[in-house]
Amino acid sequence: MQEFEDIQSLWQSHTVEVNISSEEMLAQAKKEVNSIRTKSLLNIGGMVLSLLAFAALWLFFDFQSWTTHAGIGIIVCSIAIYTFILYRGYRLISQNDFTAHPNEFLSQLKLYQLNRFSLYHKLYWFYTIALSIAIVLFFFEVLSYFSFWKQCMTIVFTFGWMIFCSTIFRKAVMNREKERINLLIEKFERISAQFKETGH
Amino acid sequence: MEQKDQLFKQIFDTNSKKIFHLCYGYTGDKDSANDLLQETFLKVWQNLDKFRNKSLISTWIYRIAVNTCLTYLRSEKRQAKDELTDNIIENKVEEYSEKNEQIALLYKSISKLEENDRLIITMVLDELPYNEIAEISGISEGNLRVKIHRIKQKLTEIYNEHARI
Repeated sequence: MQEFEDIQSLWQSHTVEVNISSEEMLAQAKKEVNSIRTKSLLNIGGMVLSLLAFAALWLFFDFQSWTTHAGIGIIVCSIAIYTFILYRGYRLISQNDFTAHPNEFLSQLKLYQLNRFSLYHKLYWFYTIALSIAIVLFFFEVLSYFSFWKQCMTIVFTFGWMIFCSTIFRKAVMNREKERINLLIEKFERISAQFKETGH
Repeated sequence: MEQKDQLFKQIFDTNSKKIFHLCYGYTGDKDSANDLLQETFLKVWQNLDKFRNKSLISTWIYRIAVNTCLTYLRSEKRQAKDELTDNIIENKVEEYSEKNEQIALLYKSISKLEENDRLIITMVLDELPYNEIAEISGISEGNLRVKIHRIKQKLTEIYNEHARI
């Protein structure tokens, strides 16, 4: 039969070895921070590039129909909104304050995760609907320059891709994200309840 | 910049062992503890400019470690690996010395506690002053004392129960 003091001395007799040196840790921290920064920059940069590509298409081609202008306009606006939200998301992630008291930190994080999930859910539909309308408008004029078979192939491929993205692909991504969020929220709630205990 | 690098290295050398022990107590697994240690010090590096000397730097780092542990989600890959490790431990039990067995039993007993209790008891085992634990966990000192008393009893009970088997 052991007393707590015996358990404590057993714990203290167990020396642990840290496998990483301070130099290695410093290099690792710098590398990770840089890679997070590069990843967000690449993401935002990619979106800005596609925005510029569509804007250039708009500026340098002489489209005749208003539908083409409207289509490109919607695509440019959607990409701009998405880029802005992406940028805001990255800023928000960096605002998670790991130095706050655990209970406060967990409730902030829970709120953030829920908001992010609902925003992405809504945003996905906005993005899909806006892009679908934009592509339909864009095709009115552009497809008239193509031969019949090319028209058919373009329509089938474009709509096939859109249907795939909004059904199978979307379902898989959303399910995975939902599972992760549910797991996190369940954990946050369980741990928050442990903090609320008054100790009686 | 040089100064920040130096300060970070010094902070790491002074605190890494204790933080690793905390993470080890929380996860009961060396690899996960190592991941958590690195994640903690990554956040220390990112937030170092925010530290305002309002508390001890060790208290501040412990709080980051506690928050990192609490948000840690064991990946499926890691879980599979843990199960495998458990099996290996069970199969090779005769290779262990009595002390190693007791230590393994202690980690197993800690893992039976609730997440928050695991972190608190690890800090108690490492003899952190109660006011510091209260500051790290954001619990009032009065409540913390009652809580610690109960966790100590629970851990001792679990340990002895397992030791009898």
